[in-house]
Amino acid sequence: MCGTCGCSDPNNDVTLTDPKTGESRVLRSGGILQEQSPHDHEHAHSGGHDHGNHHHAHEGDNRPHVHGVNGEVISLEAAVLSKNDAIAARNRGWFEGRGVLALNLVSSPGAGKTTLLEHTIHKFPGDGRIAVIEGDQMTANDAERVRAAGAQAVQINTGAGCHLEADMIAEGVKALDLESGAILMIENVGNLVCPAMFDLGEQMKIAVISVTEGEDKPLKYPHMFRASGCVVINKMDIAEAVEFDEAQCRENILSVNPDAQILAVSSKTGQGMDAWFDFLNRQVEGLMG
Amino acid sequence: MHELGLSRSIAAIVEEHAQGRAIKRVRVAIGPLACVERRALDFCWDLVTAQSPLSGAVLEFVEADGDIFLVKDFEFKEAA
Repeated sequence: MCGTCGCSDPNNDVTLTDPKTGESRVLRSGGILQEQSPHDHEHAHSGGHDHGNHHHAHEGDNRPHVHGVNGEVISLEAAVLSKNDAIAARNRGWFEGRGVLALNLVSSPGAGKTTLLEHTIHKFPGDGRIAVIEGDQMTANDAERVRAAGAQAVQINTGAGCHLEADMIAEGVKALDLESGAILMIENVGNLVCPAMFDLGEQMKIAVISVTEGEDKPLKYPHMFRASGCVVINKMDIAEAVEFDEAQCRENILSVNPDAQILAVSSKTGQGMDAWFDFLNRQVEGLMG
Repeated sequence: MHELGLSRSIAAIVEEHAQGRAIKRVRVAIGPLACVERRALDFCWDLVTAQSPLSGAVLEFVEADGDIFLVKDFEFKEAA
């Protein structure tokens, strides 16, 4: 938990690094929730609630009202993540308007997200179509890896933060040159918990799970697998050695998310990668209408 | 993992609307799929609000559906 792991320690900055120039700048100094200025939403100061950007039905009266014995009660019904959601919605509109497919790759650390990206950058048809925003707590290693593989990339370091948030993506895309038909791969911080909660404006979350993690990972972390439209089972080349039961894993994924598309690949040997490329092409076509 | 950030977000939303007046309690609606740990949120709330205008405000939870996560309402302290 944050109090002990130091997540959101105000002494940790969030930075963005361009591996091409090595230049780094601070996106947020201090904790997870810096007040943003200028405000990105409007207020009517009549009391009441005025945030139109939460997506749930109201439960009950949302007008301010006064109670007798105790103090005055102000009804808000304001989504706690409304700031992030508003920026995510803006990102999504920007991606759709420009015809950019944005995918949010989530997994536990070491599932092979970066290797999957390297292989995809090498083999996916169309030069320079893939751009990458890398999220890690520290180092620009991954951005350098995908850049060496031939993609535009920026690195976001979240410091102590355990996930990417929408405003970091908004800054990240400014540093990239994204044309219509491009695929923006957002490699989230390796963590199967927190990134499930934060919308970045992506068209879809892709969960990557490796065969060494055990077939029951989707049952242990159901929120993330439920939030993902596609699950990539990676490192299939060593499935036999670690006695991985693919059928069981698929069953577990579908039990928490019956609509998930499932692909079994090895980004090291290339096994199953054609199906992954077909999947990406279908997503781009779907976006273009 | 992220309850400290969420507590800050709740405090920021309430402070924005309270305009400096003292707060007695804040009610938050949390659905079972919201991925929010109540005890952790409560623990962080005390840390976040200490020495702030919200100091002493009690955080209360209201049952909600699905992944709902809202600041439902807050109550001002009665003027002395």
